[in-house]
Amino acid sequence: MTRIPGLRARSPVAGLHRRALRPLGVFAQSVATTAPAGAMASTPLLVIAVAGRGAPWSFAVAAVLVGLVAACIAVFARRMAAAGGLYSFTAKGLGAGGAYACAVAMVVGYGLLVAAAFSGVSWYGGALLARVFPGVPAVGAGVALVVVLAVTVAVCAVRGVRLAGRVMLVIEAASIGLILVVLVALAVTTAPSGMVAEGGVAGVSGVSGVSGVSGVSGVSGVSGVGAVGAVGIGGVAVGVLPALAAFIGFDSAATLGVEARRPYASVPRAIGATAAVTAVLYLVATLVLLAAPGAAASGVTSPPSGDLSWASVLMDAGIVASFGACALAALNTLVRVLFSLAREGLAPAALGRTHRRHLTPAIAVAVTVPVLAAVVVVGTLAGIAPGAVFGGLLSVGTLAFLAAYLLVCVAAPRFLARIGELTRGVVITSVLASVALAATAVVVVLHAGTGLVVTLAALLVVGTGGWLLLRRLRGPALRAMGVYDETTTADVLAVRAR
Amino acid sequence: MTSSSISGRQPQAVRSALAILEEVAAAGVGITAKEISTALRIPPATTYRLLNLLVAEEYLVRLPDLGGFALGRRSANLAPSSVAAPTAARQVMRRLRDRVRWGAHLVAFDRHRLTFLDPDPDHPPTDADELSRHPHASGLGRLLLAEHGLPDGPLTRLTPDTVVDRDELARRLDEVRETGLARQCGEFHATLGCLAVAVRAPDDRRLVAGLALTGPAERVAAPNTELVDLLHAHAGDLAPLLA
Repeated sequence: MTRIPGLRARSPVAGLHRRALRPLGVFAQSVATTAPAGAMASTPLLVIAVAGRGAPWSFAVAAVLVGLVAACIAVFARRMAAAGGLYSFTAKGLGAGGAYACAVAMVVGYGLLVAAAFSGVSWYGGALLARVFPGVPAVGAGVALVVVLAVTVAVCAVRGVRLAGRVMLVIEAASIGLILVVLVALAVTTAPSGMVAEGGVAGVSGVSGVSGVSGVSGVSGVSGVGAVGAVGIGGVAVGVLPALAAFIGFDSAATLGVEARRPYASVPRAIGATAAVTAVLYLVATLVLLAAPGAAASGVTSPPSGDLSWASVLMDAGIVASFGACALAALNTLVRVLFSLAREGLAPAALGRTHRRHLTPAIAVAVTVPVLAAVVVVGTLAGIAPGAVFGGLLSVGTLAFLAAYLLVCVAAPRFLARIGELTRGVVITSVLASVALAATAVVVVLHAGTGLVVTLAALLVVGTGGWLLLRRLRGPALRAMGVYDETTTADVLAVRAR
Repeated sequence: MTSSSISGRQPQAVRSALAILEEVAAAGVGITAKEISTALRIPPATTYRLLNLLVAEEYLVRLPDLGGFALGRRSANLAPSSVAAPTAARQVMRRLRDRVRWGAHLVAFDRHRLTFLDPDPDHPPTDADELSRHPHASGLGRLLLAEHGLPDGPLTRLTPDTVVDRDELARRLDEVRETGLARQCGEFHATLGCLAVAVRAPDDRRLVAGLALTGPAERVAAPNTELVDLLHAHAGDLAPLLA
């Protein structure tokens, strides 16, 4: 065979189960990470609280923004397959600095998303168990659930992404179906005739009945922004923040590039389809809630409300299942990012080792799961309200995701310019998405509470410290950042080198 | 989605895609998207979209710099080359045929296709395309499947003995991986069977060819320890000549 300069005989990310996952599994990974069932049940209320009848517009704006980000991610996903996802992409456009920042944002974002999913299960699941079996303490049940879930999720993640994908697909389909049925049933039973047509105003008044949900408003870090029922451009704009938070994680299929069959087709398709499907689900949920104020009052306020109606039990079961799938999906992504960083020489080499039989980053799973589960268990046992744990984790996590998305959007046109494939469309997409994301991040930080600001400052300090340390210890590895599943000699039908 | 915008009703897109394939084949490894666009006078945006499509379908690959292109392995399916075994390999095959009474065949593997390098002239083998279509029923095909995994489609029952149960077949493939021997008795032709072993590249153990003996089904079913050892020895001799 002809030796072609620059072509390796072995992929730098060898060890994963290469080119084995079907498109449906790739799609399941992205959908499960966004946890649409959980988000459908909580986010529309938050958006309605600030945007009133403009809530669907908030979701529409957020969906368009997510679509632009998805287009920027697709620029990379059509051209390279990486286990590190967005940070490996960013490396090809912004170099080591951008890639490092994006890697930190992804580790923080996905780590906190796993923890938030654990705490969501503990919160909703504990409350559900306590209601169905009176006498069971909610906190104890919640902690036990976290431990059981952590073990299950770790086993599924090690057993391989094919099994994990199947599990996530079934759970997600069931929980979305459950919540749609409950929402529609409540809408039909509680909406008085004539209300649907002009339901907006009534919907806003219904929101006052769900103030119990304010515990979740940490989700976007916008608690207190905007008055309830504020209708108009301002309200719609403020509503975009929590709406955007409902989409985070839609990019996670990008980390399956190495394992997906035909990744250049299936990964960008999975990311785009996830953005589209979740957008439709959120819009439907919002419209139903606006049309049927009763639905909001009776069904969705589950943890705070004490009643045991069939709808609220089913809803909670769906939400818990959705968070469980989200924990597994986000963990899949997190360990692949760590695996990729370890293969670059920027994280302990042990994290880059894969399970001999299942071909998954098993060491990374064994290291991360206990730590993340401990965060939630300790937080809950220390007496912090489960809603506060959940909200706190997600608000920091969401900002990390926004940062990662911003970096990849800025990187897209620079990457294309470097390989000589820049088009005007990508420049426009990238500029629009970057400006909107940067503006969103600025607004979130400006309205952040002290706790969030302190956390962000601490993360910045730790991140910068890590950068300085790595530059001293692993300079060459840092400069060469961005390993991905390169074309190897075995992939090329070699005719002759130029 | 950009990929669905190309349908059979857009002959120009299909024509351009084929022209791009031809251009990459002619220019050799490392041609860039811009160069292709200029050479073929296809608008850049269209070129990039078609290139991404051809890469997604694995007819083309991007080189590690991400800017250059080369033909992917899948392109080989478009023009099956007539491969011939080196003289030294044919001598090994002649030695083998002198020592056994059954048909001895040498095939080359390229992804999911097999081509006869040196079929036994005295025992003409089954058509190579027929073998490629039903890899689950032949010894040589099972060597391929043991390497790449089971195909997605349904498994055809060629004789009453053909294994068409996926779990059963997966167990047989595990055996192939363990013993290095693929055995098939009356599953392709009711009266014939075969013993097949892999020829692997000495350096990276890549599967390059398969060596098979075909004979009466009931005799193939016997342990045939000596024959199997003979096959393995000759496969070892062939490896440095073929890889």
